[in-house]
Amino acid sequence: METLGIWVAGLSTLALFSFLYKDNPFYRMAEHIFAGLSAGYYFGLIYQAVILQQLVDPIGQHWQMLDAGTGDTTYHTMKIIFLLFAGLLGVMMFSRFFPKLSWISRFPLAFIMGNTAGIYLMSQLHGLVLPQMAATFVNLASPLGIVIFFGVVATLIYFYFSKEHKGVLGVGAKVGIWFIMVSFGAHFGYTVMARISLLIGQLQFILIDWLKIV
Amino acid sequence: MSFWEKIGQIDRRWIYLLVALAVIFPIVVPVQLPVGITPEARQLYDAVEALPDSCAVMLTFDYYPSTVAETMPMSVAALHHLFRKDIRIVTMTTVPLGGPSIAENVMADMAAQYGKEYGIDYVNLGYKANYTAVLLGMGASIESIYPADNLGRPLSELPLMQEVKNYDDIEFIFVVADNGIIDTWISIVNAQFGTPVGAGVTAVMAPKLYSFVESGQMTGLLGGMRGAAEYEILADQQAMAVMGMCAQSLVHLLIIFLIILGNIAFFTMKAKGRES
Repeated sequence: METLGIWVAGLSTLALFSFLYKDNPFYRMAEHIFAGLSAGYYFGLIYQAVILQQLVDPIGQHWQMLDAGTGDTTYHTMKIIFLLFAGLLGVMMFSRFFPKLSWISRFPLAFIMGNTAGIYLMSQLHGLVLPQMAATFVNLASPLGIVIFFGVVATLIYFYFSKEHKGVLGVGAKVGIWFIMVSFGAHFGYTVMARISLLIGQLQFILIDWLKIV
Repeated sequence: MSFWEKIGQIDRRWIYLLVALAVIFPIVVPVQLPVGITPEARQLYDAVEALPDSCAVMLTFDYYPSTVAETMPMSVAALHHLFRKDIRIVTMTTVPLGGPSIAENVMADMAAQYGKEYGIDYVNLGYKANYTAVLLGMGASIESIYPADNLGRPLSELPLMQEVKNYDDIEFIFVVADNGIIDTWISIVNAQFGTPVGAGVTAVMAPKLYSFVESGQMTGLLGGMRGAAEYEILADQQAMAVMGMCAQSLVHLLIIFLIILGNIAFFTMKAKGRES
């Protein structure tokens, strides 16, 4: 079975690589199989991990407790109500498929947006923005820290659009562009390395695991 | 048509072929090139090395199968290091596609190598949807988020999970990721619960994360296949990433050569255009 899997993976890899020469039926077949398999796998996983494990099973467990008369009745009742409410919000999202009822989906969306904003506002501020600002100032004792400080200030000047970039502001914005370009260069270099790594990994699979040439 | 004109109009498929050959050649004829150790990789290794024996560490498999060339060697090297130190491991993933099965397979292989027992030495919690709620919730109680492990065994039946109730019982979190989840590990878990976080990430993500190492919010960083190779060397377990680094270097040299060639062709043709 494992050998069959390796052969399917090897042939699929070659089919997908064939697009580098030109578009062809083998590439399209592999692409469609991948899309279908991913959708099926994802559906099965989400059904198991969300619908069953986080909704159906807990409701069943609390219902059993209520039925057996064990534990705090109010607690189990409230848990069931909360879970049913969450399930209802999920069902309401499907109203988007019906244009006349699509307004109903705004309620769960509003709930998600409010929830997400509440969580991320604090975590982003306290977990990312403030520590990064503090580190920018704290490291001023070292030469690299000074470069980082001026880089941050110059880049922020570049993104300040309420005043024309002339004079001191213009010089700062130009310096900011240089820092941004260096950052783009670093990102591009790393991206090239990442893509080549994926090619190396796949060719290692073909030559070592599949064809056993090495 | 002059040489530079030909270079300027070369069919891109020749470049693909050259890149393929540059990758295949070092795999077939292995040549070991030296891989320097960056301070960030050293910091991560030292942090794991300094952990007390038998403590609990969380190792995440937050990556899709498409990036295993970069990420899986990091997980494997980290597991060699952790198991060798008799550290107990709790694994999880926030990635639905592939993450749970990669974690299951890699953990089973590595545990067999080191004779580790499931439930006592390691536990695989698997996947749960909505990672923000998962990461926040585990701060209060892991069992409330994961009532059962990846294969449906209740956590109450696993001895390791009787000792590891939340982040307070975890000494270090080793995140291996190929997506933006690392921001959440830093902004929620490290910032709110104070658990040290170190990471191995794909090369695309690495540049953004260096500032978190500088600020002390992250304890070490591995970037891409190079980072994986560094950890393999530090953990004395040289494998696929170290093997791939020769190909990586050769392709980088080829790309630099092609960029220079392309630019010479461009400026030569531009100069000729001006003359005519």
